[in-house]
Amino acid sequence: MRLLDWIVLLGTLGFIVSYGVWKTRGSKDIEGYLKGDNSMKWWTIGLSIMATQASAITFLSTPGQAYEDGMRFVQFYFGLPIAMVIISITVIPIFYRLKVYTAYEYLESRFDLKTRSLAALLFLIQRGLAAGITIYAPAIILSTILGWNLTLTNLFIGILVIVYTVSGGTKAVSVTQKQQMAVMMGGMLVAGFMVVHYLPESVSFGDAIAVAGKMGKMNVVDFSFDWNDRYNFWSGMTGGLFLALSYFGTDQSQVARYLGGKSVGESRLGLLFNGLLKIPMQFIILFIGVMVFVFYQFNQPPLFFNEAAKDKVYATDFGPEMQALEEQHTALFNQKQEAMHGLVAALRTDNETAIASAQAKVQGITDASKEVRNETKALIAKATPDAETKDTDYVFISFVMKYLPAGLVGLLLAVIFSAAMSSTASELNALASTTVIDIYKRSVKKDKDNFHYLRASKLFTAAWGTLAIIFATYASMLDNLIQAVNIIGSIFYGTILGIFLVAFYVKYIKGHAVFIAALLAEAVVLYCHFYTDIAFLWFNVIGCMAVVVFGAILQLFMGEKEKETA
Amino acid sequence: MKETDNKPTQELDKPPFFKSWKSMYWLVLGNLAFLITLFYIITRIYS
Repeated sequence: MRLLDWIVLLGTLGFIVSYGVWKTRGSKDIEGYLKGDNSMKWWTIGLSIMATQASAITFLSTPGQAYEDGMRFVQFYFGLPIAMVIISITVIPIFYRLKVYTAYEYLESRFDLKTRSLAALLFLIQRGLAAGITIYAPAIILSTILGWNLTLTNLFIGILVIVYTVSGGTKAVSVTQKQQMAVMMGGMLVAGFMVVHYLPESVSFGDAIAVAGKMGKMNVVDFSFDWNDRYNFWSGMTGGLFLALSYFGTDQSQVARYLGGKSVGESRLGLLFNGLLKIPMQFIILFIGVMVFVFYQFNQPPLFFNEAAKDKVYATDFGPEMQALEEQHTALFNQKQEAMHGLVAALRTDNETAIASAQAKVQGITDASKEVRNETKALIAKATPDAETKDTDYVFISFVMKYLPAGLVGLLLAVIFSAAMSSTASELNALASTTVIDIYKRSVKKDKDNFHYLRASKLFTAAWGTLAIIFATYASMLDNLIQAVNIIGSIFYGTILGIFLVAFYVKYIKGHAVFIAALLAEAVVLYCHFYTDIAFLWFNVIGCMAVVVFGAILQLFMGEKEKETA
Repeated sequence: MKETDNKPTQELDKPPFFKSWKSMYWLVLGNLAFLITLFYIITRIYS
């Protein structure tokens, strides 16, 4: 990295952290610290919601996903606007009426203390693990690409977040997220402009989109129904809706964002703002990935985007084999150049036969290149068995580091750090508020003064932050950790959503029944995890439906029993 | 905390630009329908 990049990176992050601390200094009570004094306007809430959801992996992985698989991932978000409307109508008024600090607090008024505590504990386990990964996932990629020390990168992200989150609580999280969103979107738009600018002079923007389309990357919407296809219109409208409802309606890291609103109206508008802008934002990020793909049709891409992993192979006895693959890769790219320019020329003629012929030629070389890449991945796995053979997370950052000028590299790294910090800050803030409000204040120290709980909130924020850094530091010792955390999340998410679904919509089911149903549902999910081959994403649906069905059956018997006793 | 203990809240806040929340919700859903249609057209044109 050059000096200008360091100045831009450290200057941007330093400004955001200092501004957050300065702007929110002097929180005097727990209301101000955990709910931001209910002073937030809708645009702050909306940006805060979007920044919480957009983690560093969003900016590292999404362009890579488009590079590999095209635009179709955007369909995953089709259910989100509908979820925003449902939550605005049903959830927000209830939370405001009860003046709750956390989503789980509502469960005590609807059911009982044990159900509230159970939901809060499930959330703490799941989100506590996720916070470590939110720091670790970008740190491992940045440390690999830039040669930074992994532990120091974890510490750098973690400590910056702890500083302003402990200092200013919810308000600091939301205030800094406005700047972070500005950096994220500004940086991505600049990167998008640069990649189009770097296309060969003979290839216009229109040609680039047409080429992307002919190479199967402009597959934005697919209405065909297929159970095995993860991203199509139907899975987005059902699974996407389901996930968005559970994430925005029951996950405290999101609930805390809109509970800090000035009024019901401000919170609703914040959510609806997200409903309007989330899909276009994802579309833009994916489109940048597609443009990077087109760029690499005219400029030779690396054989494997995680070059550090490839270099490790050269240090083994498999080095000559890797060298041979590199040579094949270069030869194929040289052949492809002629074919690509032929395709652009054919597209301009509008002659279907010429286009089909040029497309077939390009496709043949692309298939051969894919085969060489697959052989490379197999070689990396053979030579260095611990190495990760998926390199899509490295596509975008590799482009940034190699092609962007001084200053812009620093800005794009600021985008990734801002994203990591914004989602981690929301997580720490939510973990602390749930620990204090749902566990500590409710069941451990019930009658302390306001200042005591304010101090406890700050201590718990710092403690969760420290735990997240420790977890991130040791994360590399576990195999396939990100997948493990996703599985743990799915094991608990379904049950939590089921409890809330019953709370909001099935008034007939009472506290005792839902509590036992939640425990049974958790047992069913654990059984599915350990004794079946069901994909873990389905645990969300199974856990949720099990709570509703078991709750209804148990309530039927309990209701009868109550009548007999009466 | 009992629901009955609570004071009336600002549930009747009016949204900006529109007379009712229902119109705001339709705007969000209409925008979704517009985006899906636009994406479908893009898919058809460039496939």
